[in-house]
Amino acid sequence: MKLGQVSAAKLATIALVVATVVATTGCGALGGDQNTFNPAGDVAQKQLDLFILVLIPAVIVLIGVTAALIYVLVRFRRRAGDGIPKQVHGNNALEIGWTIAPALLLLGIAVPTVAAIIDLGGEAGEDALHVRVVAQQWNWRFDYLDPEYADGDGRPFRTVDLYIPVDREVGAELEALDVIHSFWIPKLAGKQDVVPGRTNTLKFNATETGVFAGQCAEFCGIGHARMSFKTTALEPAQFEACLKSIAEEGEEPLPAACVP
Amino acid sequence: MAGVMIERPAPTVGEALRRMREQGATYQGVWSWLTTIDHKRIGLMYGATAMFFFLVGGIEALIIRLQLARPGLTLVDPDQYNRLFTMHGTTMVFLVVMPLSAAFFNLVIPLMIGARDVAFPRLNAFSYWTFLFGGMFMSASFFTGNPAGSFFEGNLGAPDGGWFGYAPLTLNQFSPGTGIDYWAFGLLILGVASMAGGFNFIVTIINMRAPGMTLFRMPVFVWMTLVTSFLIIFAMPIITVALFQLLFDRLFGANFFNVNAGGTPLLWQNMFWLFGHPEVYILILPAMGIVSEVLPTFSRKPLFGYPFVVFSGIAIAFMSWGVWAHHMYTTGLGSVANSAFGVSTLLIGVPTGVKVFNWLATLWGGSISFKTPLLFAVGFIGMFTIGGLTGVMHSMVPSDYQQQDTYFVVAHFHQVLVGGALFGLFGGIYYWFPKFSGKLMNERLGQLHFWAMFIGFNLTFQPMMILGFLGMIRRTSTYEAGLGFGLWNMMSTVGAFVIAFSVAVFLVNVVVSMRSKEKAGADPWDGRTLEWAIPSPPPVYNFAEIPQVKELDDHWAKKYVQNEAGETVPAMVGGANGHDEEEDEDEGGHNIHLPSPSIIPLIASAGMPFLAAGFIYWDNPWMLPLIPVGAVITLVGVYGWALEPATE
Repeated sequence: MKLGQVSAAKLATIALVVATVVATTGCGALGGDQNTFNPAGDVAQKQLDLFILVLIPAVIVLIGVTAALIYVLVRFRRRAGDGIPKQVHGNNALEIGWTIAPALLLLGIAVPTVAAIIDLGGEAGEDALHVRVVAQQWNWRFDYLDPEYADGDGRPFRTVDLYIPVDREVGAELEALDVIHSFWIPKLAGKQDVVPGRTNTLKFNATETGVFAGQCAEFCGIGHARMSFKTTALEPAQFEACLKSIAEEGEEPLPAACVP
Repeated sequence: MAGVMIERPAPTVGEALRRMREQGATYQGVWSWLTTIDHKRIGLMYGATAMFFFLVGGIEALIIRLQLARPGLTLVDPDQYNRLFTMHGTTMVFLVVMPLSAAFFNLVIPLMIGARDVAFPRLNAFSYWTFLFGGMFMSASFFTGNPAGSFFEGNLGAPDGGWFGYAPLTLNQFSPGTGIDYWAFGLLILGVASMAGGFNFIVTIINMRAPGMTLFRMPVFVWMTLVTSFLIIFAMPIITVALFQLLFDRLFGANFFNVNAGGTPLLWQNMFWLFGHPEVYILILPAMGIVSEVLPTFSRKPLFGYPFVVFSGIAIAFMSWGVWAHHMYTTGLGSVANSAFGVSTLLIGVPTGVKVFNWLATLWGGSISFKTPLLFAVGFIGMFTIGGLTGVMHSMVPSDYQQQDTYFVVAHFHQVLVGGALFGLFGGIYYWFPKFSGKLMNERLGQLHFWAMFIGFNLTFQPMMILGFLGMIRRTSTYEAGLGFGLWNMMSTVGAFVIAFSVAVFLVNVVVSMRSKEKAGADPWDGRTLEWAIPSPPPVYNFAEIPQVKELDDHWAKKYVQNEAGETVPAMVGGANGHDEEEDEDEGGHNIHLPSPSIIPLIASAGMPFLAAGFIYWDNPWMLPLIPVGAVITLVGVYGWALEPATE
């Protein structure tokens, strides 16, 4: 009997790990250019890791509660000839226990959460690529703030899609000209709102080359659905060549140097 | 107050009862409904009106789902889409779930505490009429057209800023036309209704309990109503201030949210969510109260850990004031604020979890009867657990940066508000329907309703979680092919129509059940609380004799006793089901005091939409006079109210 229980618990654990792996890879395998389960940057990866960290206990609790609920409903269903059940009013020890247990679990979750908030919250480093993201109804534009990209008058270089070097930190300053927007490249990093009247910042990177979908995530009027942009991550040398080509030929059609 | 006291001799008992019967006899016709101040009738009107708006909000939802069924559809254009989803959210929150809860407060609270009515019956009628006029006023905006053209050319006039109405998108510059004005004034009017109701039920519960019903002998639904009422009276003023600021910006050129003049958009978000998060608990706590009544009745056991359930409800209410910024993690509040609100959001999961465990323990060892109310209550536990757990996920701030404003959030709060609040409220309808109609609802149709709704619900909202992971944003009027959204959206749309079918079954059930000849009797479920001690439907005065309460679940305690072996058995006298107090009506010896019907509350309410319309169109000289018209109607109502004697 005891042995059976232990192996059942083991079995459940294994099933759970398998289910989590399947769910994660399953969601990742669904593809799509905005799939947050398919990260291509360190920030998005950390955010996914944190999500999985809470997903596992959440799934355990859900399975536990659902199983308990079904068990109770089946076992204690009313049968013919049932008397009045024992009138149990409560059990303080039990109830204090199931108050404290979730509190401890949740506080356990709080530690990595706060650590990740602080980790992701800081400013971008000196050697990051500095970009000013300007949002307005219903388009984006990107100013490259590092002086080497400025034109003769010192004005920053500007594009309508975003180009970044792979494996290098990007420090984005977010500015809105009209209403609130939200800057989001799902595969690279969680979103950051672009609020008129204040400058929010977001740091992120791409760990692989490619073209990543970006989308305004805060409702901003009738053009909200189509307020999207592309982020192209290129090898550092190609990135420099790409910006140079755009300076000469423009973004439309896209210069060959900008295709990863 | 002029110190004039009008002395009216108290009516004798015989007189009072005679008048009651006359009232009963003439208790018919439209006029009797317009002037009623009977909490039961007001409750029914609340319920019927909420159901009407539920159909309106539901049709909006179906149009939204059709539009999103496949990528790139053009059933509605983005402008129409924005107005539809704004009104869907606003309608479901303010015109469906809140008034449906208010319907139960009205119907059940006085009966549960052994009172003959609420503390302020005319104020109660005023709450209802104000709610009705506010809801009608806001919904009328659909037909006003917008700057692009008239309603008949397909230009809806409804608000287009989302139920959350974020400034500066809601300012004139970005939302011309009158939609946002109707929305803001509509919410202000609805706020008046909610505040009046909130105060009324606080005073009713504090002051009108039957002798012996101490606070800790109150049914949990009464507790949750009390807690909800306190949340209402503290939360509503906050959104009232925010709406006034917005209207001043829109109508009179103030600059609270205008960035170019030094205004701050985040001020709106802080105000809105400081109201908005307690509001979430205003929506869910009444349903939790209903579940806490239904489970004990249908498992024939008392609620497990009554004090824990009560205190966890109170704890949730307190903590709900400290979590608002979890709606704002991505606005740039900084790491310290995000950490604080992340942790507070985690902690509110504790009292919520306690409730789930206590409900499970209530069922444990019971004798569970699978009637429709129980099914909905159990559905509530299952679906609400998912809603709660996905809520915990949102407290993981960095991963929430990914989920914020995606369909994962849409899935989460529908899990709480449909799988939770609405399931609980439907359970309540099936549970108390026999008390107020005298007829049981058809059980077969009820089961069909539950299972269709349960399946439809899961089909609609679980795919939305995957859509969130796949990066589909909320409030998007369409989406591109190739993002992998199509299949899940189609599932969701199919699910929405299954829910619509289940609601149709429910409506048929109401009609079928009302026509049924079979009588429910006073206590069809073998209930535990006082409302089951009086006839179904209850007489106008509820209790011929105000009950003496000796313990929690007093009605049950009168029916069952413990024998010497410690088993619970039916009491010898006035046994389980046989005792019907319908005959007790003439026992006499009690001065039944009921105030007279009055049209005054309706008049006092009716001025408000005129005032609002006058202000919306105040730069139009033909419409400006609506302001004095509204003011006069309101003044007449208020003065009439003050001067009208309570009983004729």
